Amino acid sequence: MSDMANLESLNPMGLLMITPTRMDKIEAAPNTPLASTDPITELKNALHPLVQYLIIERIIDHVDDARSYVLVPDVAKGTESLAYFSAGQYLSISLAIDGATVSKPYSISSAPVGALKGAYTITVKRSDGGFASCYILDNWKEGDSVVASGPEGLFTYEGIRDAKQVIGLAGGSGITPFLSLARAVVSGTEDFCLTLLYGSRTSAGILFKDEFDALEAACAKIKVVHILSDEEAEGYEQGFITAELIKKYAPAEDYSLFICGPQAMYNFLDAEIEKLDLPHKFIRHELFGEVKNPEKNADYPADALGYEYKLVVNIRDEKVETRCAASETLMVAMERAKVPVPTQCRSGECGFCHSYLISGDVYMPASADGRRLADSRYGYIHPCSTFPLSDVELEVPSK
Amino acid sequence: MPEKYDVIVVGAGNGGLVAAATTAKAGLKTLLIEKHNLPGGSATSFRRGRFEFEPSLHEMAGYGSSEDPGDLRELFDSLGVNLELVAIKDAYRIIDTSNGLDVTMPAGRDNYIAKMEETVPGSKESMLKYFELTDDCIRALDYLTLMKGNPDLGVLMGEHAHFMKLANATLQEVLDLIEMPKLAQQVLTNYWSYLGSPTEMCDFFIYAIMLDRYLRYHAYIPKDRSHEMSLAIEKVIRDGGGDIWYNCPVTRILIEDGVAKGVATEFGEVYADQIISNVIPHKIFGVMADSAAVPEAELKRANARTIGCSAFCVYIGLNKSPEELGITDYSVFISDSDDSNKQFEQMGSLEDNNFMVMNCLNNGNPGCSPEGTSMLWVTQLYNGDSWCDIKPEDYKKVKNDIAKKTIKIYEETLGIKISDCIEEISVATPVTFARYLGTPKGTIYGYQNQMWDTMLARTMNRVPEETIKGLIFCGGHSFMIHGYSSTYKSGSRAGSQAVAALAAMRGEQL
Repeated sequence: MSDMANLESLNPMGLLMITPTRMDKIEAAPNTPLASTDPITELKNALHPLVQYLIIERIIDHVDDARSYVLVPDVAKGTESLAYFSAGQYLSISLAIDGATVSKPYSISSAPVGALKGAYTITVKRSDGGFASCYILDNWKEGDSVVASGPEGLFTYEGIRDAKQVIGLAGGSGITPFLSLARAVVSGTEDFCLTLLYGSRTSAGILFKDEFDALEAACAKIKVVHILSDEEAEGYEQGFITAELIKKYAPAEDYSLFICGPQAMYNFLDAEIEKLDLPHKFIRHELFGEVKNPEKNADYPADALGYEYKLVVNIRDEKVETRCAASETLMVAMERAKVPVPTQCRSGECGFCHSYLISGDVYMPASADGRRLADSRYGYIHPCSTFPLSDVELEVPSK
Repeated sequence: MPEKYDVIVVGAGNGGLVAAATTAKAGLKTLLIEKHNLPGGSATSFRRGRFEFEPSLHEMAGYGSSEDPGDLRELFDSLGVNLELVAIKDAYRIIDTSNGLDVTMPAGRDNYIAKMEETVPGSKESMLKYFELTDDCIRALDYLTLMKGNPDLGVLMGEHAHFMKLANATLQEVLDLIEMPKLAQQVLTNYWSYLGSPTEMCDFFIYAIMLDRYLRYHAYIPKDRSHEMSLAIEKVIRDGGGDIWYNCPVTRILIEDGVAKGVATEFGEVYADQIISNVIPHKIFGVMADSAAVPEAELKRANARTIGCSAFCVYIGLNKSPEELGITDYSVFISDSDDSNKQFEQMGSLEDNNFMVMNCLNNGNPGCSPEGTSMLWVTQLYNGDSWCDIKPEDYKKVKNDIAKKTIKIYEETLGIKISDCIEEISVATPVTFARYLGTPKGTIYGYQNQMWDTMLARTMNRVPEETIKGLIFCGGHSFMIHGYSSTYKSGSRAGSQAVAALAAMRGEQL
């Protein structure tokens, strides 16, 4: 045994000192009530509110049967200010349609500084084809209340990751996050150069034409190229966004592609983008949106379509039974049955609807399978991108 | 609402998961309620593009191989948690830019001592003393465990005389007393950040036990991030017939005449004979319990304690492999000071905090990201307070500036360029941890480990400090202190305590 004499200075009864010291320390402390919050929690609440109660302050009509809704805090309901956001993010809007609560993501089209002044703007287009968009356009009036999530989504510019030059590819209502991104550049919130290739059908039907003209005029970092599919006109590109067209406007240095548009546009563009041979890191997709037509995927079982299955949903200690067609997601069936299931992205990505599959066979397109690695082994699915292939029993989180 | 449960576990963090698994497996009617939509708390994962990131687990202690299992492997085995974990080869690489120190320390005690002697000639004698004292602590811990916390003073004084002295000594005191060279002290105490307490604040006992567990059993990590561990434990709860309610915040703990009766959620009240809280006492007694039902002792104790630190993490997916980039380490600790006490002070400053750990997950868990890619992960500790003056509109810039700084430190220190191959990046701050853990100031460690509030101090006073009958705490804020293996074990103890309490209650009732 080595010489341990130098431990002599330690109290041989050290162990027995611990409790009296602890008791003294506790006895000396005040018995005042504990703080129910702290500055970090408050900052968290300001940046990531669970819910924001809003009022429609103003409605702005646009071409192409689109409308913008200016949303301000509903102070009476407890929302005193709006959460700041990154340009490109969305709000998940809750809609009560026929007694069922449905949540749909809508990109914010206003600049982040607008949130500090107390307003968000979202823009809704009828040609989306979504029943939620139609519901909003047909029902929302100035002064109405709206329930929204905090700002969500990852379609944002990140200087550490992205090139200084960004080429945006937009179609349809996919233009809304780009309006926010462009506004953020012009107002100095973001620092990058944006060349936007923006597809519309006709020159008269270009949503936000004036807004982008003004942004382009105000700031040399913004350039907008309009591409018309159904019209030939002077000063416009004609046709679709292709690899050739991207190359024509691409800078000599590295650039990031930011893509947002309807499913059909993604399907077409993916093949075009592949021709450009860009590294993964320079291609940023916004969410794909609601997954439809599962049978269009090559790995979908050929004979599965046309059936309707029993869907049993367990939510806490309650059980709901409903039907789900093979062609619709479990989420859509649950919403129709008024089962309150949380959902945000509706694209399989965010995992907000992470649910336990008790029994049954299901199909998830690989492109919309945003699950974590271990999920499939332990029976977890994202119902917003999952289709039934048999009767299904699920356990879902509360909303 | 359903009939009464035997046990309700509030919070599905590591402690809550194992507690619920323990009671469900014992046949008790168990309900686990979690406010988030996922199990695990810190033990989770998140996806960005082609990558699935590990948010919190650097190295799990006490697991060990099937030939030489540690207590954590034994715990998982006894619950029937079926997992494949991978062992980390080396302990750590430590680089100090202020004194040029750069050494990779191996696991295994003999290798560790040899490497230390090579790095700090003349350190061997003090290292042997250190491990001799470590063994004294391990023997004492085994005895205390055997005696279930009621040791015989005579035995302690006779057979555990060193432990009796060491129990109330700081790590710094002991290292100085055994005359360990300063440089060897710096290398040896490198893991201080895992405990969140620097050498002058940390007790020798806990550090000695922890380092031994890493060196003897190696560190382990799961293949599919810690989300996999959470789901594997969750499965034990389901298999045992337990109910799990996600996305269901508990708003109140129901206490009547000093006895926990149940919990309230926005969907109604649920009752049970035993409530296990994975939620920190600060929230239970500050927000969730009726103020009239909060014992003064709980207020005094909570007020006496210090909320532990939070963290800043940068999760990076790179479009090159570790080989292409020349990254060879799993974990490298980088500092610009040789003094953990100074590094601890810097945790209060957004400007001066240059202490960080960089992990390359691929070097511990090959194949964890697609071929030709790699995952890096920066961790720094911060006091939550250091982030409290940031305006929401400045938050993104502040966090990105610090992220850039840490990347620059890594690049300059290691001579490895990564900034041009960043494919995905996600930055977590104390605000992020406050969001996902719901802890005060976003603490990841519960309460500060300090001399009057060490694992020994908490453990010896665990039973006398229970003020509410039927309310048991587990998790990083509880008696075992924080860290993966500690929180799992605290859950096991809480679960077993509930099982025993119910058996006693029912025995009495019969």
